[in-house]
Amino acid sequence: MNLWHNFHYAVAMVLFCVGLYAVIMRRNIIKKIIGINIMETSVFLFLISIGYRKGGVAPVHVEGLDPSRMVNPLPQSLILTGIVVAVSITALALSLAILLYRQFGTLDVNRLFREEEEEAG
Amino acid sequence: MSGAYRHFPILMVTIPFFGAALLPFLAYLRRKAVPWASAFFLAISGGLGTFLVGKIPPGGHLSYPLGGWEPPYGIELRVDFSGYFLMMAVAGISLAAVIYSRRYIEKEVEGGRITAYYVLFLLMSASMMGFVITGDVFNLFVMMEILSISSYALVAVTGNRNAVRAAFKYLLMGAPSSIMVLLGVGLLYSVTGTLNMADLAARVGDTGYREVLIASYAILVLAFMVKAAVFPLHLWLPDAHSIAPSPISAMLSGLVVAVSAFAVARITFSVFTVHAWGLVGTTLEALAVAGAAAVLFGGIMAIYQKDFKMMIAYSTISHMGYVVLGITALNPEGITGAVYHILDHGIAKACLFMCAGNFIYRKGFRKIEQLKGAWREMPWTCFAFSLAAWSIIGLPPSAGFISKWYLVYGSVRAGKVPYAVVLLVGSILAAVYCFRVVYYMFFQPAKEGDWGERLSEAPASMSVPTWALSLATLFFGVFSYLFLDSLLKAAAQLL
Amino acid sequence: MPEGAVRSVMPLLPILFPWISLLAIAIFRRRALRLRLWLCFAGSALSFLAVIVLLPSVLDGKTYYFKLASIVEGLEISLYVDTLGYYFSLVLAFMWMLCTLYSISYIDHKQNRYFAFLAMCGSFLIGAAYSRNMFTYFIFYEMMTFGSYPLIIHEETAMARRAGYKYLVYAIGGDVLLFFAIITNYFWGGGNVNFDQWGLPTLAAASKAALLTIFSSYIAGFGVKAAIMPLHGWVPDAHPAAPSPASALLSGVILKAGAFGIMRVIFNLFGIDLMKELGVHWVVAVFACITIVLASVFALTQDNLKRRLAYSSIGQVSYIILGLTMVSRDGTLGGIMQLAHHALMKACLFLCAGVILVRTGKKNISDMKGVGYQLPVSMICFSVCALAMVGTPPSVGFITKWMLGSGAMEAGLPVYVVVLLVSSLLNAAYFLPIIYVAFFRWEGDEEGHHHPALDFNSERDPLMMVPVVILALLVVVVGIWVTVPGFPLSLASRVADLVFP
Repeated sequence: MNLWHNFHYAVAMVLFCVGLYAVIMRRNIIKKIIGINIMETSVFLFLISIGYRKGGVAPVHVEGLDPSRMVNPLPQSLILTGIVVAVSITALALSLAILLYRQFGTLDVNRLFREEEEEAG
Repeated sequence: MSGAYRHFPILMVTIPFFGAALLPFLAYLRRKAVPWASAFFLAISGGLGTFLVGKIPPGGHLSYPLGGWEPPYGIELRVDFSGYFLMMAVAGISLAAVIYSRRYIEKEVEGGRITAYYVLFLLMSASMMGFVITGDVFNLFVMMEILSISSYALVAVTGNRNAVRAAFKYLLMGAPSSIMVLLGVGLLYSVTGTLNMADLAARVGDTGYREVLIASYAILVLAFMVKAAVFPLHLWLPDAHSIAPSPISAMLSGLVVAVSAFAVARITFSVFTVHAWGLVGTTLEALAVAGAAAVLFGGIMAIYQKDFKMMIAYSTISHMGYVVLGITALNPEGITGAVYHILDHGIAKACLFMCAGNFIYRKGFRKIEQLKGAWREMPWTCFAFSLAAWSIIGLPPSAGFISKWYLVYGSVRAGKVPYAVVLLVGSILAAVYCFRVVYYMFFQPAKEGDWGERLSEAPASMSVPTWALSLATLFFGVFSYLFLDSLLKAAAQLL
Repeated sequence: MPEGAVRSVMPLLPILFPWISLLAIAIFRRRALRLRLWLCFAGSALSFLAVIVLLPSVLDGKTYYFKLASIVEGLEISLYVDTLGYYFSLVLAFMWMLCTLYSISYIDHKQNRYFAFLAMCGSFLIGAAYSRNMFTYFIFYEMMTFGSYPLIIHEETAMARRAGYKYLVYAIGGDVLLFFAIITNYFWGGGNVNFDQWGLPTLAAASKAALLTIFSSYIAGFGVKAAIMPLHGWVPDAHPAAPSPASALLSGVILKAGAFGIMRVIFNLFGIDLMKELGVHWVVAVFACITIVLASVFALTQDNLKRRLAYSSIGQVSYIILGLTMVSRDGTLGGIMQLAHHALMKACLFLCAGVILVRTGKKNISDMKGVGYQLPVSMICFSVCALAMVGTPPSVGFITKWMLGSGAMEAGLPVYVVVLLVSSLLNAAYFLPIIYVAFFRWEGDEEGHHHPALDFNSERDPLMMVPVVILALLVVVVGIWVTVPGFPLSLASRVADLVFP
C-alpha cells in the first residue's frame, strides 16, 4: 500500500486540483467550463480505479468464468450515470456561455462582473 | 388495495417526472393547458402523499425497493417521518408556486419558453421529493443533479442579461460542488463497498480507513454547504434568488437550499451515525461555526439591502444557518427544530417571495422604499407579507416560533449556550429587517403617485397561493402538536 | 391537568368575546360608525361579564382548566384560572371595558385600526392572565406586545413614530431575553414550566449558576415591560405619544403584564423559598428602590402632563416589584394589591389628561392655569387620584403603602419604609403643583381678578366622563371598604396565604 501501487488515485487527485484551479483562477468562462470537465473526469477515473482488479475481465457472465475474476461492475454503472450528468451540466454551461457572450460581448469574468458593479453603482 | 400505499412514495416522485416528459407533447396539442397540467401532476403527487398519513410506523420507516431489487443491492427508498414530512412540504409549496406561476411568468418569460419553464419546474419538484426520501447515496447524488441543473436553467429562464449572469455564477459554484458529492460518495464506496444508507451506517463504524471516512464526510459536507448556501459559500445565492422569477425564487429559497441542508442531516445521521461522530467531530464543529456565522452575516446583510427580493434572499442565508445549528446540536430536539424550520421557513419564505412577486407584477416595484403606503392599494398582499414575516421572526403562535423553540432548546440541551444566543440574536435581526418593511407598508404615507387608493390587488391565481401559504404558517404553528411527536420520535430514531 | 381543577370552557369565553369587535369591524368596514364602535364596546363588556361570572367560584377556591393544545409531553398551551390569574384578569377586563368606552368618543380617526388592535390586545392579555404555564404566557404576552404597537403610534406624528420605534426595540430585546429564560427554565426545570405549584421542585435541583441565569433573564425580560430602571426607556416616550385611553391601558395594564410575569416567576416557578435561598431578591429590590426614587425625581422635572404621569407609573410599578422581593407576607400582599390599585388611579389620571387635551388642547402643566374651573368634574377626579397616589387616606394608595410598609417591618428592613416615605414625599411634590395650578391659579389672578365660574358645559360627553368618575369613585370606595369580597384585598390575601402557608 504505497503511492506507487495507488498512483491512479494520486493522478485522480492531481487532475481534480488542476480542474479546480481552472474553475477558480481562469478568467475565461470557456476555460472554467473545461475545468469543470477536468474535475468530473478525475472523479470518474477515481471511481473506475476503485472497481479495478488486477487481471480482471469484463463483468459479462460467460459459462465457466469464475465470477471472482470480474472487475466490479457497480462503479462502471455509476460512471455511466455520472457521464450523463456531466454532459448535461456542460451543455447547460455552454449554452449559458453563448447567451452571456451574446449579451455582454465578452467571455472574461472580470469584465462581466465589473459591469455588474458599475450597474449597481 | 391494502398494501397499495407502499407504492405511493415512488409514485409521488415519478408522476411529476412523467408529467415533465409529457408536457412538450401537450404543449404541441394545446399550449394553454400546460400550466394546468403541471398543477394537476403536482396535485396528484401531493394527494397520494396524504394517503400515507399514519402509515409510517412511529420512529420507523417505510422501505421500498426500487424495481423489486432488495437492498442493499438495489436502490431503496426509505421514507421516515422527517423525509415524508419534507416531501409533503415540497409537494405543497410546489403546488402553490406552480399555480402562482401561471399569470406571473406571462410577464417575465417569453412565450416560447413557457413550456420549458414548466418542464423544468416539474423536474425540480420531483427531484426534491426523491432527494429527501432516498435511501441510497448515489441516488442522492443523481436527484441532486437533476435538481441543480433544473435550478440553474430556471434562474436563467427569463433570458435577460442579469439572470443569465446570476445563473452562470450559480453554476460555477454548483457544478464543482456536485462533483465533490460524487467524489465523497466514491470515497465512501471505496472503503465500505456499499451505497445503501442503512448498510453504510452499519459498516462505517468498523471500517479501518478512518482518514478516508473523515475526508469523505468533510467533502460531502462542504459540497452540500455550497448547495445550501451556508456562509461563507453563499456567494451565488443573493443574485440567483433575487433575479429569478418570483415563483422560482420562492422554490429556490424555500426548498432547494433547505433540502440541501437536510442532506447534511441525512449524511450525518443516516450514514455516519452516532458511531462515527468521534471521527468527524471537527467537521461538525466547523459546520456549527459556519452556521452561527451565517445566522449573523445573513441577518446583518439583509438589514442593509435596498432591493426587496435581495433582502429576502439574504434572510435565507441567515435561516440556513438556523437549520445547520439545529443539525449540529446532535440531539432529537435540534433535529426536530431543523426539520420543522425547513418546513416553516420554506412556507414563509415562499410566501414572502410571492408577495414580492405581487408587487413586481402590479407595479414593477423592487425597492423597499417604494413599498411605502402599499397597503392602501394591495392590502391582502401586505397582510400576507406580515403574517409570513411573523413566522420568519419566530413570533408566537406562528410555526417559526415552534421551530425556534426547538432549535434553541436543542442548543441549550447540547450545552452550546452561545449558539442559542446566536439564534436569538438572529431572530432580533430578522425582526429588524422584517419590521422595516412592515412599517413602510402600513405606517408610512405613500410617495406621491406611487400608490393610489384604488384597489389593484394581484389576480386571484396569485393572491390565493400567497394567502394559502401565509395561513399555513399559522396552521403549522397552532397545530404543530400534530406533527411534533412523530418528528421527535423519528429524530430520536436517527440517533 | 392541575390538581383539583375543573375542566371548563369558562376561561376561554373572556378571551373570545373581544373578537366580536373584529367581527363587527370586518362586517361593517366603513359603514355604521356608531354601531360598529358600540359593538366593540359590547365585546369588551361581555368579556368583563364573563370574568365576573367566575368570581364566586374563585372566591370558593375553585380553579378552572382548559387545554387548547399539547405540543409535546410536558409542553402544552392551556388555560388555568387560579386566584392570582383571576385577579389580574378581573383588573384588566374592567380597565379594558372602561377604556374602550372612553375611546369611542376620544378616537376620531382610523377607528377601525385602533379598535381592532385594542380588542386583540385585550383578548391576548386575558389569555396571558389565564395561562397555565410560562410557554402559554409567553405566546399571549408576545402577541400582546406587538399588538399594542399600532395603539402607540396611532396619532402617526413624528413623535409617535419615534416612540413606537423605541417601544419595539425595547420589546424585542426583552422578549428575546424572556425566550431564553423560558428555554433554560424548561431545560433545567426538567421540562416543566407550569404554574400549578408554588415553586417547581425540579428547579431546586439545578446548579446555582443555572438558576441565576434563569432568574436574571426572567427579571430582565419582564423588567422591560415593568419598566424597572434602566430598562424603562420606552415608557416616557410611549405614553405621551399614544392616545390617552391607550396610555391609560399601557400604564394601567400592559406595564402590569410585566409585573404579573415576575409574580408568576417568583411565586409559581421559583417559589419564595428558592428565591430566598438564591439570595438575589435583594438585588432586584435595590433596583426597584432606585427606580422608585429616581422615577419620582425625573417626574418632577417634566412639564408635559402625560410624561410626568409616565414617570410616575415607572415608579409605582416598581412598588409591586419591591413588594414581591421583600419576602414577607404583607409585602407580597401589598405588591399584589398595588397591581389593581395603581391601575385604578393611573388610568383615571390618564383619562383626565385625555379630557384636558381634547377640551382645551393643553399638554403642558404650565399652561393649565384655571383648568379646574373649565373642567371641574375631571379635575376633581384628577385631584382625588393624585392625592391617592401620594398616599392620603382613605384611598387605595394609602392601603398599598400601609401594607408595603408593614411588610418591610415584618421583613426587618425599615430602610424600605424610608424609600416609601421619600417616594410619597416626591409624589406629593410633583402631583400637588398640578392641583395647585388647576384650581388656585387662573388667567389674570395676579392682577386680582376673581376666579372664573365653574363651567360644566365642556364635560357633557358621558362616554368620556363616566369612566373617569367611576374610576375616581372606586379609588375612594375600594380604599374605604377594603375587605369587600371581590375587591383587591380579598383576592390578594388568598394569594398571599398560598404563597406563605
